[in-house]
Amino acid sequence: MASVTQTVSMRRPRSQVSSVLRTIFGSQESVLLVVLVLLIAYVGHSNSGFLATRNMVNVFAGYAYIAIAALGMTMVIVTGNIDISVGSLMVTLSMLSGALVTYKGYPSWLPLDAIIGISWLLPIVIGALIGAIIGFFVTYLRIPAIVVTLGFLSILKGVLIMVSQGERITGMPTGYALAQRRPLQGLDFPIFEDFFRMLTMPVFFMVFLMIVVALWMRYSPTGRAMYAVGGNAEAARLSGISEHRIVMTAFILNGVFVGIAAVLNATQFSVIQVTLPPIELQIITATVVGGVSILGGTGTVVGAVLAAILLNTITKALVFLDISPFWTRAIQGLMILVTVLADLIRRQRQAE
Amino acid sequence: MADSQTLLELKHISKSFPGVKALDDVSFDVRSGEVHALLGENGAGKSTLIKIASGVYQPDGGEIVVGGKAVRFGSPRDAQVHGIATIYQELLLYPELSVAENIFMGHAPRTRLGAVNWPEMRRKAEELLASLNIHDLDVTTKVGRLTVGNRQRVEIAKALSMNARVLIMDEPTAAITEADVERLFEIIRLLKGREVGVVYISHRLHEVFDIGDRVTVLRDGRYIATKAVAETTEDELVNMMVGRTLDTMFPKLETQVGEVVLEVRGLSRGRMVRDVSFQLRAGEIVGMAGLVGSGRSEVAQTIFGLTPPQAGTILMRGREIKIKSPRQAMRYGIAYLPEDRGTQGLIRQMELRHNTSLTVLRDLSRAGFINRQKEMQLAQSTIEKLSIRAYSPLQIVGKLSGGNQQKVVVGKWLATRPRVLIVDEPTRGIDVGAKAEIHRLLSELAQQGLAILMISSELPEILGMSDRILVMREGRLVAEFSRAEATQENVGMAMMGNWTGNGNTLKVQADGAAWQA
Amino acid sequence: MATRETSLKKSSPALFQQVQGVLRTQEGVLLIITIISVLILATQTDKFLTVKNLLNQGRLMTEIGLIALPMTFIIITGGIDLSVGSIVGLSAIMLGYSWHNLGFPLEVAIAIALGIGALAGAINGLIITRFRVPPLIATLATLAFYRGLAEGIAQARSVTGYPAWFFDLGQRETLGIPNQLYFLVIGIVISAILLSRTTFGRSLYAIGNNELAARFSGIPVNRNKVLIYAFSGFMSGFAGYVLVSRVSTTRSDMGSGWELDAIAAVVLGGTSITGGTGSILGTTIGLVLIQLLKNGLALSGVTGDATIVVIGSVLILSTLINIVVQRRLRGV
Repeated sequence: MASVTQTVSMRRPRSQVSSVLRTIFGSQESVLLVVLVLLIAYVGHSNSGFLATRNMVNVFAGYAYIAIAALGMTMVIVTGNIDISVGSLMVTLSMLSGALVTYKGYPSWLPLDAIIGISWLLPIVIGALIGAIIGFFVTYLRIPAIVVTLGFLSILKGVLIMVSQGERITGMPTGYALAQRRPLQGLDFPIFEDFFRMLTMPVFFMVFLMIVVALWMRYSPTGRAMYAVGGNAEAARLSGISEHRIVMTAFILNGVFVGIAAVLNATQFSVIQVTLPPIELQIITATVVGGVSILGGTGTVVGAVLAAILLNTITKALVFLDISPFWTRAIQGLMILVTVLADLIRRQRQAE
Repeated sequence: MADSQTLLELKHISKSFPGVKALDDVSFDVRSGEVHALLGENGAGKSTLIKIASGVYQPDGGEIVVGGKAVRFGSPRDAQVHGIATIYQELLLYPELSVAENIFMGHAPRTRLGAVNWPEMRRKAEELLASLNIHDLDVTTKVGRLTVGNRQRVEIAKALSMNARVLIMDEPTAAITEADVERLFEIIRLLKGREVGVVYISHRLHEVFDIGDRVTVLRDGRYIATKAVAETTEDELVNMMVGRTLDTMFPKLETQVGEVVLEVRGLSRGRMVRDVSFQLRAGEIVGMAGLVGSGRSEVAQTIFGLTPPQAGTILMRGREIKIKSPRQAMRYGIAYLPEDRGTQGLIRQMELRHNTSLTVLRDLSRAGFINRQKEMQLAQSTIEKLSIRAYSPLQIVGKLSGGNQQKVVVGKWLATRPRVLIVDEPTRGIDVGAKAEIHRLLSELAQQGLAILMISSELPEILGMSDRILVMREGRLVAEFSRAEATQENVGMAMMGNWTGNGNTLKVQADGAAWQA
Repeated sequence: MATRETSLKKSSPALFQQVQGVLRTQEGVLLIITIISVLILATQTDKFLTVKNLLNQGRLMTEIGLIALPMTFIIITGGIDLSVGSIVGLSAIMLGYSWHNLGFPLEVAIAIALGIGALAGAINGLIITRFRVPPLIATLATLAFYRGLAEGIAQARSVTGYPAWFFDLGQRETLGIPNQLYFLVIGIVISAILLSRTTFGRSLYAIGNNELAARFSGIPVNRNKVLIYAFSGFMSGFAGYVLVSRVSTTRSDMGSGWELDAIAAVVLGGTSITGGTGSILGTTIGLVLIQLLKNGLALSGVTGDATIVVIGSVLILSTLINIVVQRRLRGV
């Protein structure tokens, strides 16, 4: 990134202020970051309780699973598709993970760690598999993605409720609670020591995966091909890029990330239950607010992750601003509308 | 030329599509270091031929020889591997990606780990552009923000990055400015020096003489002749292309020019329509010439209310009118046959009868209910009057040939019983026969008292059909000629901007009838 | 015998062609699937094919049906409206709130609910046409926003205690037929006529197939789009009213997820998600098929939620069949 800005500024020297402004408002990512910082500062100023370490950890960790799922969604949308079944898939995989770890029929020689390992990994594999099936329908049978995933939304929801019979899963072994682990506990830090020590696993997954995916989408030929397919499918075909393979990859990886998100979701509390809040909408919202164009061909995962954190920050902030939590969604909805409009207007400006 | 080798040979190529024989025993070859122009009217088979050369279509008969060996292209990729790159009119770029990435999509330089090597890619892109004498293009800019001319340069760089030996350019000058044309020619000369063979397709004959070495003419899917450019003349080429005298091609009827129907004064909108004033009279066909991008379609669309004017007045039979939407324009009796039949003129997936009725749905309905019988009658009478070759009014329009599709568009606008008909490239992409029919139709309509404004990029059409010719350049009306005084040269000069004649520049036109003198 | 045979012979090519013609339309394929499903389900349980059960199913599908009609219009133009479920909730809340909290007469409260629905829809339309936000995104945002408004206004309190006449629409019958079913049937007939016979309906197909050409032909594209989104909002509001009347209470979560049920009925009915084709007849059959599958499978002892598995599969399969049929037709 740095070198890009460097070359640009070397080529066309302009006043420093305007170039700083340009960098800030030139991309959705930086706009989100600025809004996020301002929001935290404002809420923290009105109610210092908001800045309490425990709360700040919650702000960053609370939507980590949404952010992780948004990584996969970014790829799917960049290729010009969409997946509205991710919510059902995530809950299904969460329940599967819980069912696996509480299953009593394993042979007695199997160590508990192995069982936990299975319950962490198998949902991810199943996620990839379902992603592959969806991708197959979309790319080889050429059924529009929105129809396929609408169908899968029903199918997965049905299977889920059928299998779980609406019951909750409890009694997971303590070692299973991946999302509750605090990997930096006991380490020393020069600043924000408490904050770092209290950070839970999902944050690390989120940051690590975001970096990996961001690099992958920027530096791998497959990652670049996703932008090509979404930006101009005909040109991509003429450049020798296999649209089938790329779209399949996007859906499979999407399944993988939903799987990871599901495991983090399942291990975050001591109870796993079938709740079907419209998670898919939160994920798609994070992705779109993050600057990924629904028309395909553009957007980055960094924006999506920042947007997910922002959405969670708004939710948490309302409590501290003494606004009834019942207004949360209205305000979130308004925020989405505003950011999407701002993004569109910015793009139109740039196009001129 | 003696030691130049043949890079690509197409031998006895034939290709048929359902209902049409697009190519019949056509041969063509390109040598290294030459520009071989491919000429022919729309529908002559040029685009089919280059699509075969670039692997998009597979020929039914004949063979393709590259570097002395017979090859088969199963896909565009195969052709690229054999060093044949094509630059299409609709440029195939990724607007959201940078210049460097557009150039190297699919074959980006990698690091040892297999990752895309961005610094190297940018460096190579700059190198490549520099080798084409392009130094003013930042390789990190998004392609979506470039001008068409610059995008075209990116496409050329992209082709060269794949080590193309043969570069096919399909009407590369159709959508770029004069300055860009000059730079394009410089680049082409540079490529010639590097032993690249260029296939050059253009409708503009003078370009062939500017840049071409040899020229091959196709007509109606057949090979006519190949000539060295130095040994031929424009007239000879036109004769070969058209294959008949202009009289039958342009059956212009004498008409009684009546009163002024439409007048625009000082019409302006943005950069493309600047202070445009002219009159249209009943019974006359006024040709509007100009390069692509000179603002002709924009003038039409402003009059038609698609992009309402920012300044200026429109008068209909002397009364000032306000037009803010196509619907209003239609109410005043203005019809606009748009430039792009496929995306603007027709709804291809719909039946013929539903297309012809689209403009007059209100007249065909009572209280919002469509009278299907009337709709059917309209379709049938349109088919008869315009002799459209369709099985029935229920036929899906997209399945008709280009010429018949265009007649459907004409029919749909005639159904509105217009007083002013603006036709934008009325014969683009249709075969010679249908073209003559459309011309005859326009002539007859004018004779019946319709005022017609005909925008066209084909000079022979403008010269052959118009009673009067307006020339646009860079959003302004720059010259006006009567039928008698217009020639290929002076109209062409006016289009290009080096018209130095006097007497018919627009200042004189202020008094209404000066053009007739 | 002889005469009968000859007549059979004579009519058989025509009959064959007719059958072929039916098979070529998504409606035809769907109708056959529906008939087969009904036959199979009827053999599984004798509680299924009874007038009483079927009428009751009609009652249950009315609300989604009312939404699916304008959704058909919208999808034909190449758009989508994800906010309908939220508008149902918002309208329902506004009904209860303006009656219970603001003290309006119930009749006025009903009018307010319908008006709010139409307004919410019109706002969708304006965002889509004025700012050129893709419909999927625009209505995704308003899905959250309208639901949020409903939650904010309701503050998790539900409104009950409506007078008896209020339940006439949702819980009573006229001539043995559930009252709301009349409205659905009227809605279907009007929408079908609107779509297939009027200039307005024709303009929707034109927009869905080629918006630019529609504009160039003088069709008021933006105005018509705003109209259908407003209609969608109005019908969602009406569905909210029917729902409140049926279940006797208002809650802010009413109608959540209904957008997907409505879209499923529309797409199952053969309306292409990419726009340009579709019919109200198809949507109606899709709607009926979904409801019958749900009910029939439940009565046959299949767990309630296995039915949505079947519906999801039917959705994908019927689209696949449709695509294959279309490809054949185009001769590809």
